[in-house]
Amino acid sequence: MAVPNHVKKTVKNTFLYTIVTLALVWALLPIVWMVMSSVKTEAGMFSMPPKFFFKPNFETFKFMFSEEGNFFSFLSNSVIASVLSTIISLVLGTLGGFALARGNFKNEKALSFWIISTRMAPIPAVILPLYLMFSNLGLIGTMPGLLFAYTTFNLPFALWMMMVFFKEVPQALEEAAMIDGCSRFQAFWRIALPPVAPGLVATGILCLMFSWNDFMFASVFSGHDTQTVPVAASLLITQNGIAWGQAMATGTVIITPMVIAGLAVRKYLVQGLSMGAVK
Amino acid sequence: MRTNAEYSKLKDSNQTNYKKEKSTSFLNLLNIKKYKTEHWMILPSIIILAIISIFPFLYLIYASFMDFMISSDQPTFNGITNWKKVLINDTFWASWGRTLIFAVVGLLLEVMIGVGIALAIYELPKGRNLVVTLWMIPIFVAPIVAGLLGRFLLNSTYGLYAWLLSLVGIDVQILGDVKTALAAVILMDVWEWTPLITMIVLAGLQSLPKEPLEAAQVDGANYMQRLIKVVFPLVSRTILVALLIRSMDILRFVDTIKITTEGGPADSTKVIGFYLMEVAFKFQDFGAAAALGLTMLFATIFLGKQFVNFMTKGDE
Repeated sequence: MAVPNHVKKTVKNTFLYTIVTLALVWALLPIVWMVMSSVKTEAGMFSMPPKFFFKPNFETFKFMFSEEGNFFSFLSNSVIASVLSTIISLVLGTLGGFALARGNFKNEKALSFWIISTRMAPIPAVILPLYLMFSNLGLIGTMPGLLFAYTTFNLPFALWMMMVFFKEVPQALEEAAMIDGCSRFQAFWRIALPPVAPGLVATGILCLMFSWNDFMFASVFSGHDTQTVPVAASLLITQNGIAWGQAMATGTVIITPMVIAGLAVRKYLVQGLSMGAVK
Repeated sequence: MRTNAEYSKLKDSNQTNYKKEKSTSFLNLLNIKKYKTEHWMILPSIIILAIISIFPFLYLIYASFMDFMISSDQPTFNGITNWKKVLINDTFWASWGRTLIFAVVGLLLEVMIGVGIALAIYELPKGRNLVVTLWMIPIFVAPIVAGLLGRFLLNSTYGLYAWLLSLVGIDVQILGDVKTALAAVILMDVWEWTPLITMIVLAGLQSLPKEPLEAAQVDGANYMQRLIKVVFPLVSRTILVALLIRSMDILRFVDTIKITTEGGPADSTKVIGFYLMEVAFKFQDFGAAAALGLTMLFATIFLGKQFVNFMTKGDE
């Protein structure tokens, strides 16, 4: 071969880094641009050609979190709804996931398919009967209604995730504990649960993300007092145009906690997402 | 490994009487001792899931045969009118057609770019972790924020992307033009979810056995040959699973369209999920919407069945 090996290697590496850099620019430019726009002045945001260097201005954030901007109420609704629905789904999902992993149910395959199918059901299709059901029960516009709605996608996801994690824990230890006099539940609590703790955290963060990012359910089921941050973002789009400064600031607030949390559990992410159908 | 029956026998014979009494007395009282702890553990979940899945499903079937306007008090039976209204309707088929285009084009791009980037990252001599971390950030962006961003970047008077495109001579209102709007929303989905394909394929690549690749290299196969003959067959199952998941997601895709184009211009981005929302909440025709929802449900169940088959194949 005429070309020396180290030259070939350099060419290959240059090629690889170029591709990866381009990909990262494509993935991150919109996000960087959003964060930058959220700290620009109104005039700076709309100037053409676009400005990449400027003095940051936090007026939009100040307004949003002021009495007038009323952003705290959206934020607290989002936090309450997503945290509570995550806790409910985690508790029930852990118990049920363990049962699915260990119990010899009749028609176990059909049972787990049914569980995952409730997660995969197209939201536009199920939102209708749920809407009618919720309005008959007086749940539209209430926090329990929103919690219940979020549970429809978080619980099946938590069940499947926890089932997968529990299946990886060897059963022998629990059997030994039960022979020593533990009840089935004690064996679950003391022996099987501790090793799946990291999986539990990952599942929790993904549930948190699904409900935090939800727009469909929140826009149909939430009322004036229970609107979440994604709904707040959509309200900025009006007939008269869009309050872009606030929209960018709201977007920044929506994604920041989830990006941090998501990156923290990225090791488990693929497993979780391929188990539970994304979003 | 012992079966449940065997270890419960073992348990009985080894337990002290005190423990045994304590653990079964409550159940004895209710005369339901034949149920195992596992049944109690999963019961609350089953009840909740039943309420949120069986009821809506039956209700959809019921509503699909009723004249059911949100404003009317009593729905009345109207036979297959809704089904006819839905099935003999150009908008319905056009919406499914767009969903299909969305799925095929979107998934093709996501797989091609996703696999390509995964291979590039896999070959990187340094900085793999940092690249993966940055690359996957779009996954965590709420779909509604993705939509807002798309709308902001593509705005023809002050959008960054519109400006970049105008530099190369492309000067259209991208989201306002029938020819480009669907492509734009597909690309928003591609932007958000290509990293997921990369993650899944990368996980597959990292778990590949080293031997077949090395053997192929020793035999003098070049990179492309190794890819096609060795790598692709080994990760194809992973890619298929990723595809199934994503295709079900695309069926649910509504948020971004709601924020960006509202199905327009001239219906060019009206995918099936959005059409359903329109029939239900804008035209308030729940009967027709129910029939429409059932067609979506059937499609999902079909895809879900394939998914579960793939996932459980390896377990047996």
